[in-house]
Amino acid sequence: MSTMTEERLQGSSRAALRAEKKAITVGVAGNPNSGKSTIINAIAGTRLHVGNWPGVTVEKKSAIFEYGGRKIRIVDLPGTYSLSPYTQEEIIARDYLIHEKPDVILNVVDATNLERNLYLTVQVMELGIPTVVALNIYDEAEKRGHTINRRVMEDMLGVKVIPTVATKKIGLDDLLKSLLEVAENPSAHCPKHLNYGDDIESAAKMLETQIGLTPLAEKYPPRWLAFKLMEGDSQVSGEIKPDDSGLSVSKAVGHLKTAHDSDIESIMADARYAQAFGLTREVLQKTESGNIELTERIDRIVLNRVLGIPIFLAAMWFVFKLTFDVSKPFADWMSAMTAGPFKGWAEAILGLIRAPGWTVSLVTDGVMAGVGSVLVFVPVIFAMMFFITFLEGSGYMARAAFVMDRAMHTIGLHGKSFIPMLLGFGCNVPAIYATRTLENPKDKALTALLVPLMSCGARLPVYVVFIGAFFSAHAGTVLWSLYVMGIVLAIIVGICFKKTLFKGEAPMFIMELPPYRRPSFKSLMIHTWEKGKHFLIKAGTYILAVSILIWFLLNLPWGVENKKDSYLGKVGQIIAPVLEPIGFGNWEAASSLISGVIAKEIVVGTMGEIYVAKPEDEKKNPSTFSEDLKEVGTSFVHAAEDSAANVFSTVGISSLSSKEDEKRAGLKAVIQKTYTPLSAYAFVAFVLLYMPCVVVAIAMRQEFGTWKWFGIAFVYQMTLAWGVAFLIYHGGKLLGIGG
Amino acid sequence: MNLSMLKCGEKGKITKIGAIGPLKRRLMDMGVLVGEEVKMEKVAPLGDPIEVIIKNYKLSLRKKEAEEIQLEAIK
Repeated sequence: MSTMTEERLQGSSRAALRAEKKAITVGVAGNPNSGKSTIINAIAGTRLHVGNWPGVTVEKKSAIFEYGGRKIRIVDLPGTYSLSPYTQEEIIARDYLIHEKPDVILNVVDATNLERNLYLTVQVMELGIPTVVALNIYDEAEKRGHTINRRVMEDMLGVKVIPTVATKKIGLDDLLKSLLEVAENPSAHCPKHLNYGDDIESAAKMLETQIGLTPLAEKYPPRWLAFKLMEGDSQVSGEIKPDDSGLSVSKAVGHLKTAHDSDIESIMADARYAQAFGLTREVLQKTESGNIELTERIDRIVLNRVLGIPIFLAAMWFVFKLTFDVSKPFADWMSAMTAGPFKGWAEAILGLIRAPGWTVSLVTDGVMAGVGSVLVFVPVIFAMMFFITFLEGSGYMARAAFVMDRAMHTIGLHGKSFIPMLLGFGCNVPAIYATRTLENPKDKALTALLVPLMSCGARLPVYVVFIGAFFSAHAGTVLWSLYVMGIVLAIIVGICFKKTLFKGEAPMFIMELPPYRRPSFKSLMIHTWEKGKHFLIKAGTYILAVSILIWFLLNLPWGVENKKDSYLGKVGQIIAPVLEPIGFGNWEAASSLISGVIAKEIVVGTMGEIYVAKPEDEKKNPSTFSEDLKEVGTSFVHAAEDSAANVFSTVGISSLSSKEDEKRAGLKAVIQKTYTPLSAYAFVAFVLLYMPCVVVAIAMRQEFGTWKWFGIAFVYQMTLAWGVAFLIYHGGKLLGIGG
Repeated sequence: MNLSMLKCGEKGKITKIGAIGPLKRRLMDMGVLVGEEVKMEKVAPLGDPIEVIIKNYKLSLRKKEAEEIQLEAIK
């Protein structure tokens, strides 16, 4: 009996294995803005999985689904214009195509821009892998008066060509059917060898024969390898060392070089473009429509020399306000719920099982507060992802970069860096995630390093308390000075990094300005959701761990009356001497700054706990469970209403809350006694500049896949914060102000 | 003359790409080839980068990069 079951089990797992093997792998290659993502979203929908390519921060989208009784695994390759070895995206795309060898390549081509898209197609064909071409955005091409003769194209390429309109789900069924058909009978759908001219072909032939005699022929498509060796492709040459394999490359290309009087890379690029041009000439018929395109009309306004910048700033203002205003009511709701009903329930449950006091505190003040601090970020991450995806999908992101590049380039940044920097004023966390719009790793890293100098909303409560205590007469000016300080320092630090850490050739700015398009709502939602989910799971775990750690620091040894005796207090006492030269060498300040690592606003909370005796907990009438539940529901509805209202009233500036509870007033009184105006200003400057909070650290880790950049940010920011506070404190003393 | 010297609306025919290495390859991959016709379309509000039309699409690049592209003006 048991052997039978075993056998059956083995049998079924073998069947599963076979089914797994039968899954058809489809690699999707295409230009950026060719609608690749839209096609995949339309096909895979919610089955889409968004992750990263191993070791890099480039997004990897894939999905497994069934169609026509076959399992299909579809992998979206980064959008590229070419398969050269120069950008991260290109390297990923070609490594995948060469080493993972998908069963079928789906090459998505923008039908409105045939020639440049076919340049990639020509290169994909060199691989000799069965291919299907999707002529996407076909409706727009037709609207422009373009007709593409699909049959002729199929004849010339030797592969299937399917017109599609991914946004309207037109042609997708045909596409999937063709993918299956090609996978069933791959040899019939291998792309033709396009003739690159006698000189190139004879050189390639010579190398191909040599390659055929080596084991390399198993690993690489010979024709492709021959071309790459001729071009002197740095990556391929590094991988296989042609001299060791007995390949005489220089001999093969010798004639080619002298005959064309140019470098082989240029000769090859010319030959490929000649193919793309020839194909386009044969298949494309244009009847010029006289009317100016929509893109042209929009660009005349948004890239106008006078209006360009004001329009850009207005657009950014809306993005900023919408991101933070739309998400704020939900964030408030989430924190109110975790601090209110949810906490109450947890206490009730723990009370029922007679859990000891420290467990209750650990669960409610440690774990639940941690969960709360993760949840408050979720709405803003969702909102930010939504708007960034919208800006990219619509085509405006490229324009934003175009308008701002000159200004950002002076500090070594890219035009696109402006948006993460701006979001940084709301919250550094979404700002770090927003650096993903920057393709070049150098640009991206430098932007992420400077983002924390943008004074975020969480630092405001600290400023408010200190400014209220010392500078109430000049509150606005002092507050303003802090924001400006952050920006000025970002410029200085940016220039320094450009000359040291990021020395050398500045990344290039060679970018397509794609036609404006309405992004598909479905793509927007899928993308936003996937990113938000990612944050919740990955970052959430870390944040929770750190907030539990801080709870331990703050509350252990259990039952400490005086916070000075808690571990946090003790660590504070150790650190205090370091802060002595900058004006606030006391353990209270040190401990508050440590706790501010979770989020900078917590500095104020901890100070309140240290300096001011805990106010008696308000005696609330204990609410029943059903009342609580109702509260959860109605307050969510209110949050949704507020959020919707904020969309319309986005122009208003939310004022600094003037509500001030007694505790805060008490705190101000103590601060006035312990600080001088000078040391208070040094303190807020320190809060502005010192290490980014834990959530930013985690965001950096997630975006870059390494702790390296956070490490650098930590070191430079700590140094900067200390240095600036020192200058303020001693400079001020020397000048005799506020001492 | 080079590409950065064109005025808005002016056209030129590329005669030489002076850049080397990745910049040259990138330009070629984007369709910037010898013999190709290119039209200066716009200059960014702050004077840099520029937008040109080549192979029927809009390409933006910094003036410093455009200086590497030699051309003869087309009247």
